[in-house]
Amino acid sequence: MDPMNAELPERLSAAVRALDARAAERSARVSPDRVASRVLERLRREGAGEPRIWWMHPTALRAAAAVVLLVAAGWTVSVVRQHSIQTAVRLPVSIPVDSLNAQQLEAVLQAAGEVRAANFEPVASSNESLDNLSEQQLQQVLASL
Amino acid sequence: MGLPALAAEADGALIARYLAGDEQAAGELVRRHTAALARYMAAQGAPAEELEDLTQEAFFKAFRALASFRGGASFRTWLLAIGGNVLRDGRRRWRRRQVVELSPEIRDPSGDPAEHLDAGSTLQRLEEGIGKLARLQREVFMLRAQQGLEYSEISTALGISEGAARVHYHHAVKRLMAWIQ
Repeated sequence: MDPMNAELPERLSAAVRALDARAAERSARVSPDRVASRVLERLRREGAGEPRIWWMHPTALRAAAAVVLLVAAGWTVSVVRQHSIQTAVRLPVSIPVDSLNAQQLEAVLQAAGEVRAANFEPVASSNESLDNLSEQQLQQVLASL
Repeated sequence: MGLPALAAEADGALIARYLAGDEQAAGELVRRHTAALARYMAAQGAPAEELEDLTQEAFFKAFRALASFRGGASFRTWLLAIGGNVLRDGRRRWRRRQVVELSPEIRDPSGDPAEHLDAGSTLQRLEEGIGKLARLQREVFMLRAQQGLEYSEISTALGISEGAARVHYHHAVKRLMAWIQ
């Protein structure tokens, strides 16, 4: 133990040496033959193998881990899909249009982002202003968002 | 195979023999490592009257778990780690009735009595301090300072990283130094 104790402060190193010397003295009273015969006798009596519950077997644990991973992956995919669908659907479609003026409507449309043309029939050409839309057309525009 | 022939075999060969059903191989492993295991446990404060039982318990647990021994650390280091677990289980039971015995060098009446008194007191403080360390700090410290093991082997035996072993050792030294001052 001396080589390792070289890295210890002297006071602690000396104390560890004294502790080890005492431990050696105590352990000298332990008989290896007696311990060996008692251990062997106990192994014969209680069995040499560690009792193992079936689900603690490595194969069972690996299979369980694979199932957990598959379920987690499936759940993640379904959540991501659901989230993207909901993001597309959840848009403000119930804005009280009557109370908005043209500028406010434009602001709403700008904030909502690009309108997807696929979902409705175009009601106005690109060079037309929102001022020219009827209330129904505006409703259509908003409902399509 | 007779006992002298078994005594010449390496631990790995004896383990293989035991796993193949040779009981005598287990006996040889016990005889070979009893002193080191008992010394390791005694240094951690295992009471003298229970030392043989604790040693036997550690060997029994080791042989029952032998199939899981992967050989990353030596059999002895692995056994010492199991001994540490056995000590942990028994520690609460015997901590309170721990009696400090003086080693012969401390009992030696020659020399300066004050120095001996100081050494005895330091030893007692060290033993108390070791008992107060967190389990991993204590085991890393003892495996390093008493058994002289490298960090790599300690980390394998205790199932921690080498860096963690170094940190535990550093903290243990710091705490023990403060404790014995």
